[in-house]
Amino acid sequence: MVLDWKSGAAIALAVGVSVAAGGAFALDAQGQAAATTRHNNFKAQGAAFKGLLDELKKDTPDKAVIATNAAKLKASAAALPTWFVKGSGPDDGVKTEAKPDAFTDAAGFSAAAARLKDETAKLDALAQASDIAGVKGQVRNVGGACKACHDKYRVPEKS
Amino acid sequence: MAAGPSVRARLWDGPTRIVHWALVVLIAFAWWSAEAGKMDWHRLAGYAVLALLAFRLIWGFAGSASARFSSFVRGPAATLAYARTLPSRVKAELPGHNPLGAWSVLAILAVLIAQVVSGLFAVDIDSIEAGPLSDRVSYDTGRLLAKWHHWSFSALEALVALHVAAVVFYLAYKRINLVRAMISGRQHFAQDPGLAFAPAWRAAVVALVAGALAWWVATGLKL
Repeated sequence: MVLDWKSGAAIALAVGVSVAAGGAFALDAQGQAAATTRHNNFKAQGAAFKGLLDELKKDTPDKAVIATNAAKLKASAAALPTWFVKGSGPDDGVKTEAKPDAFTDAAGFSAAAARLKDETAKLDALAQASDIAGVKGQVRNVGGACKACHDKYRVPEKS
Repeated sequence: MAAGPSVRARLWDGPTRIVHWALVVLIAFAWWSAEAGKMDWHRLAGYAVLALLAFRLIWGFAGSASARFSSFVRGPAATLAYARTLPSRVKAELPGHNPLGAWSVLAILAVLIAQVVSGLFAVDIDSIEAGPLSDRVSYDTGRLLAKWHHWSFSALEALVALHVAAVVFYLAYKRINLVRAMISGRQHFAQDPGLAFAPAWRAAVVALVAGALAWWVATGLKL
């Protein structure tokens, strides 16, 4: 079978478009996967904080549970900036609750993440020292750091 | 022209009216405090709504005649029959909730139960704000219940809008002032329906039980 130039060009164009679309699709899928990982990381972070707060509500809180969760929070907060991979934002066609600013306002976002890192490090230090009263006071600061960043860089929940 | 109603008689007892207007104020306050992020106040409002709800449910079985569910909840046939009379401006001689309004009462109570229960277990995105029983569920379940808390509030808004629309309809079209009756407790009747009213001491006992229940729940069911 002999192809005339028109058919050849059409096929070449079709192949080119498919490859480009495939590439874009692969990038999208990568971005979406990163966003999903981020979502799960945040959920794990929320669960760790809840585990700590629930323990504090008890009459005799288990210091080990508090220390474990505080360590998880510290590690997770330190890693948080790495979850915001390039290409995993709302402007990349990814389904995410992150606002575009989380990816464009680098200075502001870094400061917000650093605040959480500092507050969770303080929380962890108190928890490892078994200072339950200190932990009780510090959780408000950690919660404040969560909230400050969510207010600025997360799409508000629909009600 | 038919003769107008001649007797002004007691219809709603004090506890029923207090619960009604306290719910109006507290639901508005709960909405505002949540919007303003004043979650300590929001929780307190929720506990108060829980107490009122518990009171009203018990009062629906042990209260005055017009407050009892058995006196106003009717089946589909009676409800439909009443609904057919809606276009008529002739006043029905019903001491209290009509069969259609009865379903509105039950719907509002059901949504309020959903609202209170979901709120008790709800967890906010940062975990820091949570209902008093949230330590009994996982973060994911608590988040799901927070969503339900929002949804049931939307349902409540719709029911409140319908309730107010119905009250306006009765006032403007049927010339019956339901608001005044819910404030004064009295309504005009062709003749005194002779309703039975529960004694004050019974209201006090039920209030004590409802208050204790709300307190117990608020402290996380600790004994």
